[in-house]
Amino acid sequence: MKRFDPYLAPAVLGFGVLGFLSAEAAGLGFGPGVTGPLAWALAALALLVAALGAYRRPGGWTLFALIAALAGLAGPARPLLALAPVLAAFLLYGGLRHRLPERGAAAFWGWVFVWPSLALILVWHVLPGLFAFYISLFNKVSFITQSRFVGLLNYRILFHDPLFWRAMSNTFWYVVFTVPTGILLGTLVAVLLNERVRGLGLFRTLYFLPYITALTAAAAVWMWIYHPEFGFLNWLLGTPGFDWLHTPDGVFALLFRPLGVRLAGFWAGPSVAFVAIMAMSVWHLLGYNVVILLAGLQSIPRQYYEAAMIDGASWWQLQRHITWPLLSPTTFFLAIIGLIGAFQVFTQVYVMTPTGGVLNDTLTLTMYLYNKGFRDSDFSYASAIAVTVFWVILFLTLLQRRVLERRVTYGE
Amino acid sequence: MASRLRFLLGRALIYAVLTAGGGIMAFPFYWMLATSVKSPQEAQQAEPIWVPQRMRPANWQAAMRLGAEGGNRWWGGFAPGRTVTFFVAAGGEGPRPRVRIPKPPGAFHDPRSEGTRIAVERVPGGWRFSFTNTTHRRFRLLPVVLYLPKSYRAVRPELAPDAVRSAGDYWRMEWVNLSPGLFGYVFHNYREAWHAAPFARYFYVSFVTAGTQVVVGLFLAAMAGFAFARVRFPGREPVFLLLLGTMMIPGEVLLIPNYIVLAKLGWLDTFYALIVPWLASVFGIFLLRQFYRSLPQDLFDAARIDGASYLTLLFRIALPLAVPGLVTFGIFNFLGAYNALLWPLIVTQSPEMRTVQVGLQAFIGEAGSDYGQLMAASTMAILPIVVGYFFAQRQFVEGIARSGIK
Repeated sequence: MKRFDPYLAPAVLGFGVLGFLSAEAAGLGFGPGVTGPLAWALAALALLVAALGAYRRPGGWTLFALIAALAGLAGPARPLLALAPVLAAFLLYGGLRHRLPERGAAAFWGWVFVWPSLALILVWHVLPGLFAFYISLFNKVSFITQSRFVGLLNYRILFHDPLFWRAMSNTFWYVVFTVPTGILLGTLVAVLLNERVRGLGLFRTLYFLPYITALTAAAAVWMWIYHPEFGFLNWLLGTPGFDWLHTPDGVFALLFRPLGVRLAGFWAGPSVAFVAIMAMSVWHLLGYNVVILLAGLQSIPRQYYEAAMIDGASWWQLQRHITWPLLSPTTFFLAIIGLIGAFQVFTQVYVMTPTGGVLNDTLTLTMYLYNKGFRDSDFSYASAIAVTVFWVILFLTLLQRRVLERRVTYGE
Repeated sequence: MASRLRFLLGRALIYAVLTAGGGIMAFPFYWMLATSVKSPQEAQQAEPIWVPQRMRPANWQAAMRLGAEGGNRWWGGFAPGRTVTFFVAAGGEGPRPRVRIPKPPGAFHDPRSEGTRIAVERVPGGWRFSFTNTTHRRFRLLPVVLYLPKSYRAVRPELAPDAVRSAGDYWRMEWVNLSPGLFGYVFHNYREAWHAAPFARYFYVSFVTAGTQVVVGLFLAAMAGFAFARVRFPGREPVFLLLLGTMMIPGEVLLIPNYIVLAKLGWLDTFYALIVPWLASVFGIFLLRQFYRSLPQDLFDAARIDGASYLTLLFRIALPLAVPGLVTFGIFNFLGAYNALLWPLIVTQSPEMRTVQVGLQAFIGEAGSDYGQLMAASTMAILPIVVGYFFAQRQFVEGIARSGIK
């Protein structure tokens, strides 16, 4: 039995899974449908490979190629038959189990363990990413109309779309406002909590609860707090009737108006409504930052502080020269996670301002994508937005890595 | 002495800042709970009401007695043949008060208001009203509107009215339910919200979705993570890099292609659409891989030499030792699935397939100005997670903390 290749079983397995998936995809009309003469040509090719394999290297690969040819024949017509190789791999393994070398067993089981997840991730995460780009090249992909290849036209329209730029600048302000605020407030709370306070559990629960609260419910509560007539905030600030969530004036414009400076467009800043949503978002995410930062703080060795205190360092100096640099990997992690999360903000905006606010002042990128794709049924344009967002996030993440990582002090 | 004073001042400052911050963090929860037990009139006050009427023990007693008369001391109701008697203390003299049971707006025929016999009698110190259900039906609520002349002094109804308005020479007092029972009184808004939208179905959908995602997701991630950590199979590194690469793809890119695939499969508006796309999680695989790698390799080598198969290695050795990692991922997965709004919003259309969050989002639009019911619905929506948090506090916090350490 030495002629059997230890990698035969995993290869057959992989072929079976991929064959099944592609046959299913072809059945649903994705990609070129492999039917008719093309299917026969492919089967003939597989048979040729099998014959060649048999001629060159008699043994395991021959069997594999034969199974491949059979599956190739069956695939387009009967997707379930393409699963035959999976069965074959198990039978092979069962028959050879006691003679298989260690490497063969590892190869077989490694792939058996990985395939279920890998197949799901390929189908629902990897291929859709490529598919999004593909459909963004068409004119108005929807279920009703026939679409036509238009190349990068959607992207060209997108770059001249004022609403897209509005959404982009709103999202930009959202990131700029919420991520640093969340990290700074989180650091403050975590540092204070790390001072061996009593009732740590209670405080941690208080700060952490908003994070596990569903955003939909939290947004409902904050809408009630922001209510113009009966809201708590207006009572607290003594501003009865102020409609927080329907005030489209930019905050910078409002701040600088008394100075006689008129700001408009992007420089007017996020609207009051959007800042209200940001405050709610910081409230929601703070607990996460606190917990992560607290874990980071607790991993800083106490000896550093003790040594510095013997040298007469003040509390502020301890924080500035020990805590902050040694906490920087955690802070950096939070900055990246926060950036990616903030770029996809949707739920609280959609619940609190379902129409995107007054004059689209709270329209975010994800919300614009949602509106284009699922309200206007323009899947290709929505995909163009999605792909653009992907590149922007990628670019910003890499930029952040370059700019911030130099300041990150990794321990040891 | 000075340093001692400074230390004490510093501690006081720390506690002051933490308490103030904690108060701000907790306030929305308090406000949600307080509003959820308020009547509409209490909720819609310019001046906030800190302790609503429905949280006052004096009213609980009356609610319990009235509920017992109507049917049940805990949940109230207005059962056939029962008589609910209600006393309003009123000093002085004046015309006879008027009382009626309001009809639902626009109703042509209302068995409750037509089938209830109302008796009004003058008793020492006030007026007594009795309501008798002459129908054969049991009603959940007994709403009552009472017009009491303003000439009476020291008016004190046995149960505080849900709304008092001035109507000419009369006070118009309203009760949304005059035979509430204790829970029916305190949790009135909860019960009404529960009946106003199919929340039971929403919870069922949410729990099936999140539960399946957690169970199957754990199984898949436990297997794949183990293979990446402890099985040396050909192609391991490239496949792992591919998986890590998918973490770069933001979720919003996947919305449209996955929606199209689901539509072609005919899976829209089914459990498949809610569950299947999110079963396998790269994050989970990565987390569990890290966990398995922290276990000693010798353990696996020894078992392998003793003839254990890889299946035994995974299910008998690795999994029992990786329980904290599994709990972390399970909690994360459940939170994500239960709290998600965007995806279920996209792939479901019918109310039967709404998750709690989508249902709540729809309820926000439908509830209008009844903020009491809306806050009750919100409280119900977050309750499972909060209760879970209090039962497994350590696992939650450590789980989240662990996710940040790579």
